[in-house]
Amino acid sequence: MSWENFRVAIFDKAPDALFVHATIVLVTIMIAILISIPLGVFLSRPKYKRFGLITLNLLNILQAIPGIAVIALALPILGLGMKPAVVALLFQSLLPIVRNTIAGLMGVSPDVKEAAGGMGMSQRRILFEVEIPLAMPIILSGIRTATVYVVSIGTLAALIGAGGLGNLIIGGLSLFRPEYLLVGAGLGAIMAISLDRLLSYLEYRITPPGMRVE
Amino acid sequence: MIELEKITKKYPGQAVPAVDQLTLSMPEGEICVLVGPSGCGKSTILRMINRMIEPTTGVVKINGHDVTNTDSDQLRMGIGYVIQQIGLLPHRTIAENIAIVPRLYKWPKEKIKKRVEELIVMMGLDLEKTWGKYPSQLSGGQMQRVGVARAMAVDPPIMLMDEPFGAVDPIARTHLQDELLRLQKEIKKTIVFVTHDINEAIKMGDRIAIFDAGKLVQFGTPEEILTHPVNEFVENFIGHDRVVKKLNLYQVEDAMHPVQCVVRENEWQNVAQTLKDAGTEVAFVSDQAGKVLGHITLSDALELGGDVEGFKKRVLETKKAFVQSTTPLPDALSLLLEYNSDFLGILRGEKLCGMLSFKDIRNHVYKKEGE
Repeated sequence: MSWENFRVAIFDKAPDALFVHATIVLVTIMIAILISIPLGVFLSRPKYKRFGLITLNLLNILQAIPGIAVIALALPILGLGMKPAVVALLFQSLLPIVRNTIAGLMGVSPDVKEAAGGMGMSQRRILFEVEIPLAMPIILSGIRTATVYVVSIGTLAALIGAGGLGNLIIGGLSLFRPEYLLVGAGLGAIMAISLDRLLSYLEYRITPPGMRVE
Repeated sequence: MIELEKITKKYPGQAVPAVDQLTLSMPEGEICVLVGPSGCGKSTILRMINRMIEPTTGVVKINGHDVTNTDSDQLRMGIGYVIQQIGLLPHRTIAENIAIVPRLYKWPKEKIKKRVEELIVMMGLDLEKTWGKYPSQLSGGQMQRVGVARAMAVDPPIMLMDEPFGAVDPIARTHLQDELLRLQKEIKKTIVFVTHDINEAIKMGDRIAIFDAGKLVQFGTPEEILTHPVNEFVENFIGHDRVVKKLNLYQVEDAMHPVQCVVRENEWQNVAQTLKDAGTEVAFVSDQAGKVLGHITLSDALELGGDVEGFKKRVLETKKAFVQSTTPLPDALSLLLEYNSDFLGILRGEKLCGMLSFKDIRNHVYKKEGE
């Protein structure tokens, strides 16, 4: 090990890798949220509840495929670069958000919904003003889980040329430079932990004072 | 006026309809109590009025208009709704909870604020302390006050209350009942009130409808129902203390009789003679200023003879045996038993206006039973 290698890894390689990695994670999570929350809402409506189990099982299977396999499978279909990486990572991030959205919405007390309906709030209003706000802490905790997944599995995206912290790790392995590997893995861990903390703080803030468990 | 015309509600897979061919009309400005054992269909009936449940057949009319002609959300906005579980939105403050329906009506902010303040005060809650709190920070009784305030926010002419006080402790329940009755004297809403508690029904109802297995068994004023239960089911539902329950319908002034003899403190020596002359058993004793102190019975007066200290002591012993004329009869009965006294003096303010004995209560009940 040499300090020179550490210096190169931290100051020359890491900033770019970190930026790309963060972009992949953010884009993936954004898309995952845009797909998962509406899907969760849809699956929690009484009319469509029967599709819930099958959808969750499907997502479960997607989740169960090892990340590296998904990325490898994405390569021949979507080619190289960031786009296939994001698609592959999406597979891993949908389940926790959909599952938590459903759980959160189902957990809203029927009494509250009954009272809201009895006052003349429309189904739409009940969804946006009552159900989603009340389910939000649980939905956010699903997003948190998904984010941590994506940060860690995101390192594999380097295999299909998407870049990110994976570049440092793979580079470190192939060049026998453990310093690169340590920096890549360390930054990945730091990113995962800080995002986790950030979202957990958000989760706390979004829970109304009357419902917080102190 | 709410009219139910041949309402039937049948749930799929149920042999017996939850509500069976019900026709009932509930007059404006009255509290109509729907009462019956669990599963008798009373909540279903209530929920068909604001279309939370749609009847299988039959028509619900409010002031002559079929409710299905109004959009269900619009209909519900115009009807107060209070449920046992209260259902306050836990993520909204008390003020925001009360403001829900005014906001649906798009009232201007200032008007909403003023109305919310008015309601919090009207429900006997501390404005400053309650305003910004969240529901979980209140007690059950306070929460239900907010529930009632929320239902009254836009002053709807009709209120539906489904066991509204069923989940609060007995003391808070009595308070809430009393306050609702007090409010109702001013606001005169048409209230449909569901309960399984016959005592609550008797207390709250201008009219009571008793249900069993989806069928209306008896509909009438509390007095009619307590006096003439139509069948064994109603009798059993009321309980064996039917006549005692009936006392709840009356106040002391309904049963009292006039005082025949009042003596001044310093006339004590003549009390026995005065009573004999008047042909009555009891004299009320007042001080020089005319303030009543207590009473003395003929037998006591005879027994004491000339013992002035004994006389004063006896009179003072009864100084608590007075009630206001608007006291419910059961309370007066309880006081008679508590003071081990044969008579209670009845006051209107400070002034003695009558007296009540066990016999008066018995006579009154007997008279009312005969009607």
